[in-house]
Parts: sequence; C-alpha cells; structure tokens
Amino acid sequence: MDNYHRQQRVNTFLVPLLAVISGLVVAAVLIIFTDNSPFAAFEELFKAGFGCSSLNRCAFFTTLERATPLMLTGLSAVVAFRSGMFSIGQEGQFALGALTAAWLGFALDLPPVVHAIVIMLAAMVIGGIYGWIPGVLKVKLNINEVITTIVMNEIAVLVLVYMVNFPLRADRGTTAYSPVIDETAKLMIFMPGSKWGMGFVIAIAAVLAVYFYLWRSAPGYEQRMAGQSSLFALFGGIRNDRAAIRGMFISGALAGLAGAIEVIGVHYRINQDFAPGLGFTGLSVAILGQVHPFGVFLVAILFAGVGLGAQLGLQINLGIPRELGGTVIALMILFVAAEKFYTDGISGLRERWAHFRGQKTAVELAMEERE
Amino acid sequence: MRRDIVKAVLRRTPCGNLMANAVELRNITKYFPSSNVLANNDVTLSITEGEVHALVGENGAGKTTLMNIFYGLHRPDSGEILVNGQPVEIHHPDDAIKLGIGMVHQHFKLVPSFTIAENIMLGIEPNQYGMLKKKDEAEMVRQLANDFGLPVDPYARIRDLPVGMQQRVEILKALQREAKILILDEPTAVLTPQEVKELLAVVRNLAQRGRTIIFITHKLVEVKDVADRLSVMRDGKMIGTRTVAETSIPDMARMMVGRSVLLELDKKPATPGEVVFAADNITVTDASGLPAVRHISFSVREGEILGIAGVSGNGQTELVEAISGMRPVEGGTILFQGKDITRRTVGERRKQGMAHIPEDRIKIGLNLETNLDENLVVNRYKLPEFNRLGFMILSAMKRFAAFAVKQFSIAAAQPGEMIATLSGGNMQKVVLARELSGEPKFVIANQPTRGLDVGSIEFVHRSLVDVRDRQAAVLLISVELDEILSLSDRVLVMYRGTVAGEVDPTTVTKEEIGLLMGGSSLPGTATSAGSVQAVPKPQKEVVA
Ligand SMILES: Nc1ncnc2c1ncn2[C@@H]1O[C@H](COP(=O)(O)OP(=O)(O)OP(=O)(O)O)[C@@H](O)[C@H]1O
Ligand SMILES: [Mg+2]
Repeated sequence: MDNYHRQQRVNTFLVPLLAVISGLVVAAVLIIFTDNSPFAAFEELFKAGFGCSSLNRCAFFTTLERATPLMLTGLSAVVAFRSGMFSIGQEGQFALGALTAAWLGFALDLPPVVHAIVIMLAAMVIGGIYGWIPGVLKVKLNINEVITTIVMNEIAVLVLVYMVNFPLRADRGTTAYSPVIDETAKLMIFMPGSKWGMGFVIAIAAVLAVYFYLWRSAPGYEQRMAGQSSLFALFGGIRNDRAAIRGMFISGALAGLAGAIEVIGVHYRINQDFAPGLGFTGLSVAILGQVHPFGVFLVAILFAGVGLGAQLGLQINLGIPRELGGTVIALMILFVAAEKFYTDGISGLRERWAHFRGQKTAVELAMEERE
Repeated sequence: MRRDIVKAVLRRTPCGNLMANAVELRNITKYFPSSNVLANNDVTLSITEGEVHALVGENGAGKTTLMNIFYGLHRPDSGEILVNGQPVEIHHPDDAIKLGIGMVHQHFKLVPSFTIAENIMLGIEPNQYGMLKKKDEAEMVRQLANDFGLPVDPYARIRDLPVGMQQRVEILKALQREAKILILDEPTAVLTPQEVKELLAVVRNLAQRGRTIIFITHKLVEVKDVADRLSVMRDGKMIGTRTVAETSIPDMARMMVGRSVLLELDKKPATPGEVVFAADNITVTDASGLPAVRHISFSVREGEILGIAGVSGNGQTELVEAISGMRPVEGGTILFQGKDITRRTVGERRKQGMAHIPEDRIKIGLNLETNLDENLVVNRYKLPEFNRLGFMILSAMKRFAAFAVKQFSIAAAQPGEMIATLSGGNMQKVVLARELSGEPKFVIANQPTRGLDVGSIEFVHRSLVDVRDRQAAVLLISVELDEILSLSDRVLVMYRGTVAGEVDPTTVTKEEIGLLMGGSSLPGTATSAGSVQAVPKPQKEVVA
C-alpha cells in the first residue's frame, strides 16, 4: 500500500517532467531543420535563460522577474479551476489590474511602501470584482463562465486601449503611453540589471497563501469539494454558489495583482499593447503545474526561462526564431495532456525493470500480501 | 516443457460425454495496480452448456472483474479461457461477441437519444449501398423480440423507457449478436419486484432454449428461484461451486461472507416519543418542472422507523431531496423539532441534527476524487473540533477517520485512503459512519442497501435499528418490500407523488401492499387520502 502511494506521488512529478523532456526532444528535431546543432542550441538557451555569469549580469534574475506575473496568473487559474469554474478571464483581470496601478501610480500622493500597497490592494479589488461578475452570472443565471470570461477579456483590453489613448495619455508621440508612475509607487529591486525584486517575494507569498487557503482552510475545503463534485457538496451542506463566487473573486484578485506588479515593479507605465498573453500563459502554467500552487511556482520559472532563453540565446546568438520558445512550451502542454500515456508507460516500465533486476513486481508483492 | 505436453493431451481428450462445459475459466489472476487490488486470485470456474449459473459474492469480491476478463474488457495477468473446450484468446469485446458471448453490464450502455431498434442494431445496421434501412431495422428487431417473447416497440426512445425495459433492450442487443452465453451483471439491482419477476421468467426461458446464462446477483432468493448451480467468490478467490437445489440460503450466505449471517433482523418494539419531523401538505416539482410530490403530509417520531414503500419513480427521490434541503418545495411546510425549516439550507438542517443517507453513494453521498478524511467531515467541518479560526485541524480529521474505520469496520481502509479504491459495501459504510456518528436526531435513509451484499445489508440494517433505539427518528425509503417490512415500525405507500395509504408492517400481506403500490386502494378502506397523522401547527420561527 505504501509502496503504491509512493509510486503515485512519484507520478505527479514524473508526468510533467516527461512532458517537458518530450517537448524538448521534439524541439530538437525542429532545431535540426534550422541547420543548428540541437545540443549547442539548448546550451545557448539554457545559458541565456537560466545562466548567471555575475551578480550584475544574471539571466536567471531576469527569468525570475518574468516568472512573477506567470506565477500569479497561474495561481489565479488554480483557484478558479479548483472551485469548479473554468475561468479563462485572467487576461482581462490582469489588464484591469495594470490599468488601476498605472493610474493610481501617478494620481495618488502617498509615502513610499504605503503607496505601493494601496495600489496592489486596489488592483486586487478591481480584478476581484471583474472575476466576481462572471461568477455571479454563472451561479444566478447559469451563464457559462468560459463565454463570459472570454467576452470580458475583450472588454477589459478595449477599456485599457481607450484609457491609454485618451484620459491617461501622457504625450503626443506616435505610441500612446500613460505617465510614468511616482517613485513612491515603485517596488524595490534586488539587483541592478533586471527588475527582479519585491514582486517576486509577493508572488512566493501568494503561492504559500493559496496552498494554505485551498488545503488547510475551511473555505478552501468548501471550494475544492464544490469543484470536485458539486452534488456531493450540495448534499453535505456546502454552499456551492458561494464557493464558486468566492473562488472567482480570489482568482480575479490574483490576476489583478499580477497586472499591478507588472506595472509598479517592471514597466512603470503602460501602453496600449501592455503585456499581452500573460493571462493566457497563466492557464498553461496552471495546467502543466498540475493545478497546484507548488507546480505553478516551478512551471512559471521554467516557462519564463525557456522564453527568455529562446529570445536571447536562440534568436540573437543563433538566429533561430524566438517563436521556438513558444513552440517548446506548447509542446510541453500537449504532452501533459497525454498524461495517461505516461502513467501506463511508467508502471509498465517499472514492472519490466523489476523483472530484469530479479526483483518482485507489484503484482507479486500484492499476491504475497494476500497469502 | 512437461506442462505443455500435459496441456496438449488434455486438449485432445474429449470433454466427457456427460455434459459439455460451455465455458472454462482456468486460474485467472488479475491485479489492478491503480488501486493495488488483487481482484481475481487464481480463479477457476466451469459453466455447463444450457445452465443458469449464479455468481455471487460480497461487494468487491471480483465478480465483475472476472466477467469483464471473459468479455475481453480486461486482460488477465495469467490464466486461460476455454469456450466449448477450445482455448481462446479474447482481447476485445468483438472477440467475445464472435465467440457467442454477450454481456449486460451493471450500468447500462445504451444511447438514450436513440430508439430501441437503433440501439439493438448499433454497428450491425442493415444497409444498402451504404444507406441505412430503418424499416428493415425495425422489422428485424420486432422479429427478434417476438422470437424470444420479449415484446418491445422498436421506435421508442431509450430515454423514455423504464429501467426494466432498458434492460430488456440490452438483452435483445446481445441476442441479436447471436449470444449463446449471456452474462447478466446484477440485472435485478435496479428493477421493481414486478420487473424482477418478469426478468427471471425470461432467464429461465432463455436457458430452456439452450442459452447458457451467467447471472450475478446479491439476492440469494433470486439464486434459489432461477439458477441451477452457483459459484461463490470472496476476496478475489473462488470459494466453491454448489448445486442450488442442495444448498440453503443461509448456507449460501455463509459461503459468501465466511461467517453465519443473520438474515432475520431481531429488533425490540419501538418506543416512539415526540414528533421530530413533520411534512405538512408539501408539493415538490421534478427537474422538468412537473409535480413529483403532491400534497404529502406525514410525521416521524423519535424512536421509530417510518418506512416509505413504493415502486421507484413515484416521487421518492424528489421527496427526499426536498426534506434534506437539496430541492426547494413549491408548497407546504416542513417542521423539524417544532421549527419551520421549509426555507433552510442543507447546512442549517444538518446543523440542527438531520442526517441523510442518499440513494446514490457514488454521485451524491461521496466525493470519489478525494480521500476518506475529507469525505467524513463534509457535514461537520465547521464544528470547533475540526476547525480552528477557519483552518481545518488535519490531525482531528485523521483521528476521526481512524475512529470511523474501527467503529464501522470499513475494511481495507486507513486514514488518507482514496474513496474510489473501496468496494461498494465499504463505500456505504463510509456514508453510514459520517451520517450516523454524532447523535443525529433525524436520519433519512434512501435505498440504503442498494447493490450491497448480504453481510453489508445486515450491517446497515443493524445500524439503522441502533440509531432508532437511541431514540432518533428514522425515515426509511426503499423499493425493497422485505427491507421496508422488516425494519419499519409504520409504513406509508407512495404512489404517483401521493401517499396511497398506511399499513401496519406486522400484519399486512405482500399482496395488500402490492396493490397499494400499484395504485389500487385496499378493499375495505374508504379513502386512500394522504394525511395520516395530525401535524402540529407551525410555530412562528425564531432564527437563532
Ligand atoms: N478498473 C479498475 N481499476 C482498479 N481497481 C478496480 C477496477 N475494477 C475493479 N477494481 C477493484 O477490484 C475489486 C473487485 O471489483 P469488482 O468490481 O470485480 O467486484 P464485484 O464483485 O463485482 O463487486 P460488486 O458486487 O460491488 O459489483 C474491487 O476492490 C475494485 O475496487
Ligand atoms: Mg460488480
């Protein structure tokens, strides 16, 4: 029995790992088509994404900087999925969080730290409300949350475009930018050369908070039960409707926070194409991360590193298009979807390996236990 | 080497002139790594041509697994299969069908939106130039149905049919594929007593026509009624095969469970106290908005079991959902301990001492995606024992799980165990452990023994009588007449959403209650009206 549970646990790690490796193998084939050696390419990619030559020129710090918003949007997806809501509204909530931060960043006059905290809280409330709306629509009117969140993503992005082009526009240049935020609103940065800083610490705190919320708190328990089996939850006395709405609010707040940190920690102002796709990537992070906060933590760093490595290492040094990074990530997700293929394969291999080594297989152990 | 020769010799030996073995399963072993269960452990089973062979055993004994292997749905880890004396390889149900094996599963596999004919002819439709010939299809089905004396309307849609009829379609489907050996996996579990009677007649008839039938059931009376021989499995092993005529029901039960089983429940007379629960003139609609419960009134006192008998589908499900708070009532009031709870949520009702054993433990009563500990606290996670400032106390949950495993002897389980790996009987024990611990004042038990083996049924019945003796009020809803009559202190019969009458379980005959269940009134009773007992007037509710 213990042996079996251990194997199960190993599978949770092995599956994403194998998916990552399979993704890299297929990518290697693609690299061969560009007349490059896949080994050299991966070395470049790794150096540019995860390497660290000196503290001032450390690519890995940039990777951590870029992993920060992915962690938060990934957590946002985890909380929604775990409460049974297939929300894909992270993109819109992220945009509104960023917009809130860009505006309050120059509009408020507050002392340092306080200013940043107020901005982040405001962005969380705005993002939360933007997640709460599809939650309520689902619970009260049974409107599919997938559709409402897609539509609301569009709306949020258009609001951002409008705000940047008109009310918040700072100059008359060809591209519209919002004003640069005040120094008081900016988050602390650890090392010059990248924007890796306080935002990353907040993201880690969020990883732990989401873990404790979902697996240790009573409201989190309600949410997971409602997500896994709404009939069971209803029967047991859990308010499914409240759990779903709460999940959507928290999910929205996390995505809104991601948007705010991207503004006050990295860019300090927004333009109309502000950070597109970070919300959607969060979905992929959540899925490859096994819809678990700790998985999200690792996968966000992996994705950010692969993206950065593809951009700097492959495109600049080797002339391989940086889209390859995106392709690798897409392949990994595809391979995770084929999870069953691995779990079956893994247990088959285990049996064969045990046989080869003359050890007892699980079947034989089980039979002996019965005797 | 030598074994191979022996096998070859055996193969050539004619199978004896006495009776041919239609099926031989030899030394079948099957291990499920995903649940770490050895479902079949060196199982050998011989089935004679033209017999009805009952396969019985406790929940999780491995009956379905063995038959799934025979039907090509699972590959055994070892063992061999012989059909008509020939060793065969069955990798896929198609192979099984070619060998003349048909299977009707525990859970039907029909397409609800298709007609009977479309379902029966699925994949073997008559066609011309690639075009389906619907008329021929219906005609062929009608022909087949008449041949076997199982009339059906080929154009009826599956979703509109009662379960008994759906099952008939499953059987016809197998017969259309020229099944000579028919496996029926718990065919009677979901049928009404009348449908069971019809099915058993069909089974006997098929056997007379030379079909071989493997009949899985938990009901030993049915074994007595229909089978020639029976084989008993326990814990993955084959215990033995007996001739039914020479084996008594208590003997069968002993073989199944490995100890003697109390088939007759002994219970003390009830000592009813105050009214705990009362429904006053309630009306409930079903999912499609049609009235399913119409102006029903009844009450349950502490220390008594009120049984509700009736053919399934007469509003029992909706009634239970309304009482437990899962479905709103359209009219009337529900009183619990004198308070109006008509509009209270499930959680509030549970907090006041209501417990509910639902009819479907898989979909409603349990969350199969999580473990024992989390399943056991869904009705009590807000109590201070399990909850400190909004955080769950995992150690307390674990302790409670260990307690439940011990108290309710949930076999093969430990705290942290995933629910999905448990057998049906043990799953039901988890539900009982959750609902009956913590001194409930009112217990709703809806079909509490559906699909359970004799040992588990005994346990469930004992538990319900025990809570009654602790002066809780129990509402038992069951389509099993024997269960209702042996457990209940009073019995109401439900028919088409109303109470057709009340009977005394100690004096009523099965015929009398059967009449009420079928909608006719008892000779001699003037009315079949609903209200049986005066219901106290609702006090104005004071929200605590
Ligand atoms: N596909 C499967 N994967 C893992 N375990 C399984 C699978 N099917 C069955 N089992 C396990 O094998 C054991 C035997 O199950 P099986 O369904 O054969 O029992 P059964 O005798 O038909 O019981 P019941 O009377 O409840 O239908 C059980 O412990 C069950 O949990
Ligand atoms: Mg079974």
